[in-house]
Amino acid sequence: MKTTQNILKHIRSLVPADRKVRIMNVCGSHEHTIAFSGMRTLLPESLEIIPGPGCPVCVCPESDIINAISLSTRDDVILVTYGDMLRVPSKEGSIRSRGRNYRMITSPSEAVALARSNPDKKIVFFSIGFETTTAPTAAILETGVPDNLFILSSHRLTPTIMEVLVKDQEIGIDGFIAPGHVSAIVGANAWNVFSEQYGIPTVVAGFEAESLMLGITEILIQLKRGMASTGNVYAGVVRPEGNVQARAIMDRYFEVADVNWRGIGHIPASGLELRDAHAMKDARKVFGLPEIKESHIPGCLCGTIVLGKAYPSACGLFKKACTPKTPKGPCMVSMEGSCNIWFKAGSA
Amino acid sequence: MNYIEIGHGSGGKLMRDLIQNLFLKYLGSEELKPLEDAASVKIGSAEAAMTTDSYVIRPLFFPGGDIGKLSVCGTVNDLLVSGAVPRYLSLGVILEEGFPLESLEIVLKSISESALAAGVRVVTGDTKVVEKNKCDGLYINTTGMGEIARQLPVSNVSAGDAIIISGTVGDHGTAVAIARHGFDIQAPVKSDCSSLTDLIIPLFKIEGLRWMRDPTRGGLATVLVELSGAAGLGIEINEERVPVREDVRFIQDMLGYDPLYLANEGKAVIVTSSESAARVLESLKRHPLGKDAAVIGKTTAKFRGVRLKTKIGGERALEMLEEEMLPRIC
Ligand code: SF4
Repeated sequence: MKTTQNILKHIRSLVPADRKVRIMNVCGSHEHTIAFSGMRTLLPESLEIIPGPGCPVCVCPESDIINAISLSTRDDVILVTYGDMLRVPSKEGSIRSRGRNYRMITSPSEAVALARSNPDKKIVFFSIGFETTTAPTAAILETGVPDNLFILSSHRLTPTIMEVLVKDQEIGIDGFIAPGHVSAIVGANAWNVFSEQYGIPTVVAGFEAESLMLGITEILIQLKRGMASTGNVYAGVVRPEGNVQARAIMDRYFEVADVNWRGIGHIPASGLELRDAHAMKDARKVFGLPEIKESHIPGCLCGTIVLGKAYPSACGLFKKACTPKTPKGPCMVSMEGSCNIWFKAGSA
Repeated sequence: MNYIEIGHGSGGKLMRDLIQNLFLKYLGSEELKPLEDAASVKIGSAEAAMTTDSYVIRPLFFPGGDIGKLSVCGTVNDLLVSGAVPRYLSLGVILEEGFPLESLEIVLKSISESALAAGVRVVTGDTKVVEKNKCDGLYINTTGMGEIARQLPVSNVSAGDAIIISGTVGDHGTAVAIARHGFDIQAPVKSDCSSLTDLIIPLFKIEGLRWMRDPTRGGLATVLVELSGAAGLGIEINEERVPVREDVRFIQDMLGYDPLYLANEGKAVIVTSSESAARVLESLKRHPLGKDAAVIGKTTAKFRGVRLKTKIGGERALEMLEEEMLPRIC
């Protein structure tokens, strides 16, 4: 087995001397490993590892958060969602600061249990995330949920946002490290579009520093040879076709929709909403939730950071007015947000 | 108007600021000012070490310990790392109306056993009961007095000294986090809650011993950041050498906590001259509580602050974290 030092040596030998190489990761857990291992301090300067849209909490529309807050103030509703969502700021405050009846859950099955034990309340599950959290939400629907459970779906599709990034010349992505968990669901083949249509090497990596460095190595090799394909250094977990069964269940309940991304804007076919056949479970329809125009957070660069156009350190509020205790923007809230990760990992 | 936030009690930056800006403004005695874990006091010609601590942990019973054991060990360890041999304890108990007597008895039994093991005697006490819902079952305060065996001021520490941790880090924080979140985990991680009397007293004889601290709230990282600031030196830590139990690492990954910032209740950070490091290590390893002891880094004059050399050889800075990011477990 290659040691870390050998991999690093290999990486150094592969980086071109005459130009910058920009590789993007699109997974908060990847960025976590990269920041906490101090990996960037070991890589040549001309090799940039850019954190991209790896944080579902960061891109969840302000409109949904405000709707969640107001749902939680109804006497007949208990709003449930993942812990990070409670603290995400909006112009109306956060669910925690302004909401009333809300609970934190760690898995969708807790929402089902809560609905069963509170038959006189309407339980609204504010379900957010990429493919990894969509699958468990679809799974509870598949096994059957009580009539008093509703879903506020704010699910987003990773491949779609990556395609938006590839087309953006300003970012200039040379390669993608594809997310491990998402790939386990969508399959490594889901990334073929990047090599085939855009000539961008894309490699699925695991969550250890070594796995990520091997992924980076493979991207650099492809770049050097002037070729592009989908690689997978996480093959033990990620199959080419992904989790077919989970995708079939997701497909039964959710359909692709044109949705907003916080700080980024409207992106066609980039989110998932409940299908019409399940409208009676859809909190948007049942409660007639309005679409609320997004406000800008003064000074916050989250939208730019999520797109890989700036690092957290470029934000004037980073570590000053904006800290995990006093988050000004969504990227400082979640464990997967780049600002939060960079804050906790400290600077090199 | 400013108010106390829950974070003011979690041992990190907010609490430091509160103490510096408010407490020391009115209570700046010579003995208090150094803000050591225990103060050196004189009564007549006799000198003693004195410390106090309040215990408001939830849950009261956790794998590896309970509030009673913790209230003895925590205070005893504060005396030990200050260079004192613990002798006497006071015990203040605040009970909530409706608290089961049976539970109180378990806690008192645990206090008695822990005091015996730690070599201290409970010599005075106080009991108060507050109305239902006015406290979380049971709060305990203990004050400890000990005989000073070594003076270990932070000014002892100089560049090139070795930094030793007496065992695995993050056990207590993880155990309490699991107990609190109610995770269903097969073999629960046990808190390291224990008095360090037999582990630390032999070190008092070793000449190169410079400074010690028990990394409780805020964990190892917070102690190192404070040490770096107080000593005016840089600290280099080698991540690979910091002992962390496998199961603890796994759970902390899951919960998103950094073991370096998690509380310990039976560990000491020890600074020694580089020449004495081997002797200190040998002495620690002779005791079961010190079997995982390791030299994890050194002090340096080359920079300020704390730098962590990561497993892959990268580098990152350890900084004082804000309270929100530390699980509240004390
Ligand atoms: S540091 Fe805070 S304000 Fe700045 S981009 Fe990040 S989240 Fe937004």
